[in-house]
Amino acid sequence: MLIEHSFTIIEKIVLISGICISLGSFCFEVWKRLRIVLKGTGSLPLDRIGERLWRVFREVFLQEKVIRGRLLPGLMHGFVFWGFLVFGLVTLDHFAIGFEFPLMSLETRHLYSYVVIPFSILVSIGILYLAYRRFITKPKILGKLSPTSGLVALFILLLMATYLLGELELQPLVWKINWWLHTLLILAFLILVPRSKHLHLVLGPFNIFFKPFHQPHHTPVKIDMEASEEELDEMLSNLTKMTQNQALDIFSCVECGRCMDVCPAYRGGGILNPKDHFILDLRQPLLETRDVDVLSQINVEAGWECTTCQACSEVCPVGNQVEKSDEIRRLQVLVEGNVPQEYQKLFTNLQNTGNSEGATSSSLVDRLPKFTPDMEYVFWLGCFARYELDPNFTKSVENFTKILDTAGVTYGILENEHCSGDPANRLGDKLTYAMLREHNMEQLENSNKVVSMCPHCVLNLGKEYTKYGDISYKVEHHSQLIGRLIEEGKIGVNIGDNGKVTYHDPCNLSRMLNIVDAPRTAIQSVTDNYFELPESGKNTLCCGAGGGLWWKKETVGKTHLVRAEQVVESEADTLVTGCNFCYGMMNQGLDPLIPEGRPKIHVKDISDIVADNLQ
Amino acid sequence: MKICVLIKQVPDKDSSLNISDDHLTLVENNITWVSNESDNYALEEALLLKEKHGGEVIACTLGKDSARQVLKDALAKGADRGIFISDSSFDNLDVLSLGKIIASSLEKENFDIIMSGLQSDDQGNSQLGLILAELLNMSHATLGMGTEVVDDSTIKVKKELEGGWFQWTKLSLPASISIQSGINSPRYATLKGIMMVKKKTVDEVTSGDVAADALESNVTINKIYVPDKTKETQFIEGSPDEISEKLVELFRNDIKVLN
Ligand code: SF4
Ligand code: SF4
Ligand code: SF4
Repeated sequence: MLIEHSFTIIEKIVLISGICISLGSFCFEVWKRLRIVLKGTGSLPLDRIGERLWRVFREVFLQEKVIRGRLLPGLMHGFVFWGFLVFGLVTLDHFAIGFEFPLMSLETRHLYSYVVIPFSILVSIGILYLAYRRFITKPKILGKLSPTSGLVALFILLLMATYLLGELELQPLVWKINWWLHTLLILAFLILVPRSKHLHLVLGPFNIFFKPFHQPHHTPVKIDMEASEEELDEMLSNLTKMTQNQALDIFSCVECGRCMDVCPAYRGGGILNPKDHFILDLRQPLLETRDVDVLSQINVEAGWECTTCQACSEVCPVGNQVEKSDEIRRLQVLVEGNVPQEYQKLFTNLQNTGNSEGATSSSLVDRLPKFTPDMEYVFWLGCFARYELDPNFTKSVENFTKILDTAGVTYGILENEHCSGDPANRLGDKLTYAMLREHNMEQLENSNKVVSMCPHCVLNLGKEYTKYGDISYKVEHHSQLIGRLIEEGKIGVNIGDNGKVTYHDPCNLSRMLNIVDAPRTAIQSVTDNYFELPESGKNTLCCGAGGGLWWKKETVGKTHLVRAEQVVESEADTLVTGCNFCYGMMNQGLDPLIPEGRPKIHVKDISDIVADNLQ
Repeated sequence: MKICVLIKQVPDKDSSLNISDDHLTLVENNITWVSNESDNYALEEALLLKEKHGGEVIACTLGKDSARQVLKDALAKGADRGIFISDSSFDNLDVLSLGKIIASSLEKENFDIIMSGLQSDDQGNSQLGLILAELLNMSHATLGMGTEVVDDSTIKVKKELEGGWFQWTKLSLPASISIQSGINSPRYATLKGIMMVKKKTVDEVTSGDVAADALESNVTINKIYVPDKTKETQFIEGSPDEISEKLVELFRNDIKVLN
C-alpha cells in the first residue's frame, strides 16, 4: 500500500523516549563491558589492518567458520545474519517513518521489499531451526536452556511477522498498531542484546578483527632475578590479569560450544570444558569486580587437563583465544607452588640435567655426527629422540639421517643441547623455561639453519623464543626439508606398498606452525593410496600428549585415546605422523584398541615412510 | 613451635651409579644430586604445622658443599633459615657419629620438634631420628603418617604399623619424628620463595664446633659392590587347585604382593 502515514506529536514523544531508553540502556551496558575490557593489560592490536579486514570479511560477512564447522546450523545462522544486514536499512527507515522523514521513497521501499521479503522468510526459517535445535534436540554442548535465547528467537520471529504484515494492504489503524509492535520489539531487542550472549552481534566482528594471528598467544612471562621485592610483587600480580583481547573474548562468546566439540580433553570425558572453564566462568567475575583481575578463578584441575592443542581457539566462530591453561598453570607454579608431584619431578629433572628424563647420558648422541661450523644444519634432537622416550623412534631418527646422507646434506647435533623447554613452558614453569631457553640460545648463537623432528622443539626454538629476544637462526621441521629434497630431486623415491596410508597432523605442526602441505608432499610421493582422517590439517585432533600431558600419570578422562580410536576406526594400514610425541602415543595406543582379527596399524614417522622408499 | 627438618642430599634414583676402582666410594661426576624423597615430605609436614600453629622452620643438612642446594630448595619452599653442617672430616662417618655431630650442632636451638625423613635413599639406615631423640633427650616416633599438635607440650603422631595397621600415639614435646613418604603433597617452590632465599641466613657448622669424640667412625667400609643378580626359579606342581593355593601363599608370604 503505497501511502505515507502520519504520526501525532504524542506518538513522536513516546517514540523518542523509547529510543532514548533502549538505546541508552544498550550503550550503558556495552560501555560497562568496554570499560572492563580497556582495563586489560596490553592493547588491542592495530597492525596488519588489511589482513584483519579480509579476515572480518570472510569470517563475518561470509560466515566461513560458522558454516564450515556445522553445515546446517551454520547455514541457518547465515540466513539470520544476512537477513539482519538486509534489515538494517529497513529498520532505520522504520524509525524515520515514525518521525515522518522516511529514508526511502515509497517506490524504493516497495522495490527493496523484493529483497527483504525473501530474506525475512529465510530469517524465520533460520531462527525456527535454531530454536528447534536449542529447545527440542538440545545438544549437550549448548549447555543449560536459556530463557533469553527463547525470548530473542520469539522477538526475531515477531519482527519478521510484523514486517511482512506491514507489507500487506492494511487498515490505517491496524497498520499503526503493527508499526508500534514492530517498534517495541526492536527497542526491547536492543535492551536484551547486551545482557545476553547476543552481544556477539555487536562484539563478534570487532573480536575477529582484533584476534591475534599466532597461536598459542600466551603473553610471555619475563622474569628478572635481580628485581626488587616490589617489582616482583607487581609482576606476579599482573599474572592474574587478563589482556584486553582476552576480556573482549569473554563478552563476545556466543556459547555455541564448538570449542567443546573439538576439545580432546572434553571428548575424552575429562573435567575440562573449555567453554565454561576458560570463558563463561570468567564472565560473572569480570562483571562483578568490574576489573580484569580474574584469571585465578579458572578451575585448576581443568587447567592441568588441557593439551594446549589450540583446537578450541582455531574453531571459535567469534575469534576467541579460548585456551587459558597457560594462565592458570603459571599461577599454580609461580605463585601457589601447587604442582602435581610428577611435574615437580619433571621440572627438577629439567633443572638438574637439562632434559625431561633426568638422564645423564644418551647412546644416540654418541652415534651421531657433532655439529661443526662447516656443516649446513644443526640437527636438533629434542629429549624424546635423544633419551629414547619411545625406543622405536630411534629408527626414525636414523631414517632421517639416511635421507640427509643420501641427499648429501651435512648436519651435526649439538652435544650441549638442552630440552627446548616446551614442557616447562606449557606447564607454567616459566623460570625453568627461562633457564633452558637462555642455555639453548647460547648454544645456537652461531648457527644459521636448524632442523628438528619434534614440532614442540620447532615451535619453541623458532617462535616462542622470539617472544623473549631475537634469534639468529631459522628452524625447520624435518618434513619441510624432506618435502623440499623430494621436490628438488635431491632424493629419488618410489611408490611403495604401505596399504591404505593416512596422516595424523600434529597440532603443534599444523595449527601452531602452519605446516600442513610439506608432510603431505612427502607422504604422497611414496604412496598412491592416501586418504585423510576426519579431522585433519588445521582442524586436526590432538593425540593427547601435548601441554606436558605425556608426563602426566593419571587423568580423569581418556584424552589420550580419542584420536587413537579415530585412527582405528579409519581402518588405515599405515599411520604416518610428524611428531615424536604423536609417534609415541600412537605406537603405544593403537594396538590395544584394534579389534581382534584386524591387522595391526603400522605407525611411521614421515622419515620412515620416505626412507623405506628411497630409490 | 620451633621445628627443625633434617634434609639429606642423595643421588637421584635415575642416576647411573658407578663404583670407584678401589671399591670404597662412588664415582660422583655422573650423579645428579637431589633432596632425599622422604625428607621432602618431612619438610612439607613441618611447613604445614607452621602455617597452622605459627613458629619457625629451620632446615638442616650435613653434607658436602653441593648439599647447600638442598637448603636453598628448602628455604625457597618456605623454611625460615638453614643450618649447614659440613667438614671434610665428616666424610665416611657412620650414622651414630653423624648423629652426635648433628645433635651437638642443634642442641642450643632447643627445638620443639625435629623432623626427618623415614630413611635416606642412599644409605637407608633409618636411625638418625632415633639417635637424635636419644642424644637430645626427646620423645620419638617413626614411620609418621600424620601429625596433630594437641597443645604446647603434646603432639599426636599417626604411625604405620605392620599389615596395614595404623596407630595414633601421643608424644610429649620436644619430639623427634621421622616421616614416611606420601603423607602429604610437597609444595613446589614459588618464584617469590626462590627470590627470597638470598635474604635468609644459613648458619655454618664445622668440625671445630662439635665434640671431638663424634669424629671417630664406628664402622669401616671394606668394599662397595653391586649385588650379584641370582635367578631363582621355582616350579609349582600339583592339581590346579593346589597350584593356585601355593601361588597365593607365595604371593602373600614371599613376594608380599597380597595381604
Ligand atoms: S568460546 Fe567460541 S567456540 Fe567456545 S562457546 Fe564461546 S563462541 Fe563458541
Ligand atoms: S587447547 Fe585443546 S585441550 Fe585445551 S581446551 Fe583447547 S581444545 Fe581443549
Ligand atoms: S604430540 Fe603431536 S598432536 Fe600431541 S601435542 Fe604434540 S604435536 Fe600435538
